[in-house]
Amino acid sequence: MIDIFSPLLKLLGYQFFQYALIGGALATLACAWIGLFLILRKESMIVDGLAHTAFGGIAIGVFFAINPLLPALIVSSIAVLAISYMRKRGLAQSDSAIAVMLALGFSTGLIIISLAGGFNVELFSYLFGSILTISYTDLMIVSVLSISVLLFLSIFYKELLCIAFDEESSSLTGIPVEIISTAFNIMVAVTIVVSIKIIGIILVVALIVLPALSALQLHLSFKKTMVATVILGIIGVVSGLFLSAVYDVATSGIIVFAMLGVFFMSVLIGRR
Amino acid sequence: MANECALEVEHLNVARSGSLVIKDASFKIYRRDYVGVVGPNGGGKTTLFLAILGMIPAQSGIIRIFGQEASSFSSWERVAYVSQDAINFDSSFPITVRELVSLGRVKRSNLGRPLKREDWQAVDDALDFMGLIDIKERRVGQLSGGQKQRAFVAKALVRNPEILFLDEPIAGIDAATQEKFYQKMSDLNAERGITILMVSHDLAAVFCRMSKVICVNRSVNVSEISPDTDPNSILREAYGEHFHFVYHRHECSGAFKDD
Repeated sequence: MIDIFSPLLKLLGYQFFQYALIGGALATLACAWIGLFLILRKESMIVDGLAHTAFGGIAIGVFFAINPLLPALIVSSIAVLAISYMRKRGLAQSDSAIAVMLALGFSTGLIIISLAGGFNVELFSYLFGSILTISYTDLMIVSVLSISVLLFLSIFYKELLCIAFDEESSSLTGIPVEIISTAFNIMVAVTIVVSIKIIGIILVVALIVLPALSALQLHLSFKKTMVATVILGIIGVVSGLFLSAVYDVATSGIIVFAMLGVFFMSVLIGRR
Repeated sequence: MANECALEVEHLNVARSGSLVIKDASFKIYRRDYVGVVGPNGGGKTTLFLAILGMIPAQSGIIRIFGQEASSFSSWERVAYVSQDAINFDSSFPITVRELVSLGRVKRSNLGRPLKREDWQAVDDALDFMGLIDIKERRVGQLSGGQKQRAFVAKALVRNPEILFLDEPIAGIDAATQEKFYQKMSDLNAERGITILMVSHDLAAVFCRMSKVICVNRSVNVSEISPDTDPNSILREAYGEHFHFVYHRHECSGAFKDD
């Protein structure tokens, strides 16, 4: 027991680990709630599409030597609005629209990288996440964006629930369904950009989907599901962080495994 | 007040997938009317509701709700609608009966603000009225078909609407539950003065309990219902010349005010 806890306590004393814990926890809070609404709206695959689209923005940032999270935020926000536009105008179904933006964003990234002379360590850190090397600036960006998402979801939670439950008849309530849906989609883009720094483009979908999916196994009321989503997400990320630091294995990979562990536990509890 | 128009439709044409579903519909519904909407499947009953509620566009024509044109109508809190697909939602959706009914209190005027104590009191009153108060903490996915329907009607009622559109609210429900449901709706109409339009295939219930019938089969015809009404003369406009409807007047005992 002592062998396990003393390295953990030691880790808490390091500034890099404190940054990782704060950034990871805040990002997980935003991801957990966004993920819950996305699953209920049956739109969870938009996460994977937008994360890959954001790669174009990351490449632009690296190429022009600016913080890649900012162009990634702009690119993924444009992409999510374009997906909504294509769906609404009947140009493409949801999955096809996501595929188009994914291909466009990712190929933009590849072209820029080839112009810049190929992949470097920084680009790899965005592909696979680098929460343990998160800088103070990144922590500030992650914190501000996560808190913005949490504020939005807290303020409009009843309207978002109404739309998630029945979008068609929500317009009869008099609430501005289109404006709230568009704002929510932009918050999805923001959350994805926040998560890229934590877990990387490839695995961002896990951080957003797994906490909510785990909570849904417990068959609770909506309010309790929201609380459970956050708790289970935090358990997954924090335990993944500690395991990664103690055993020196890839952080994003172990976070996903920890979350899968939480998911399977939830399935077992839910079936009792 | 008794003669005030709740709904006015003039020369309404509605097309879906390129073909005309509602053709030149013109009718008026007054406050406190209790209206059955009948007609064969695919005749355009749901389309008529959706066009009135602005959920699908009309090709031409005018719709007025409480005297205001639907295109500029903004008092949607006075209107409530229960869709025929309402109970076919994802049964794993994490929502309790009380939470579902509370969504009926979500409106433009409380945008971005939590529900107040009086909202939750209205939710409990609606649950009580629909006989769901004892199962308010149960998840909606666990309810029987009849309980789900009542929950959705409670969600509509919690808005305190002045006009209520119900699209086949009791399809697939056993006869005893149907009877209770019709009784509740009659109470709402008589005691609270709510104007009700209900799509139904239960023609006996329509002619026993309701004050008007709208027959929809591309064309739309509205008739008053009284104890002397011959249902067949009305229904043949929608169902065809060979249609013959038999029901027993004694089953209506007590349903008409002058019985």
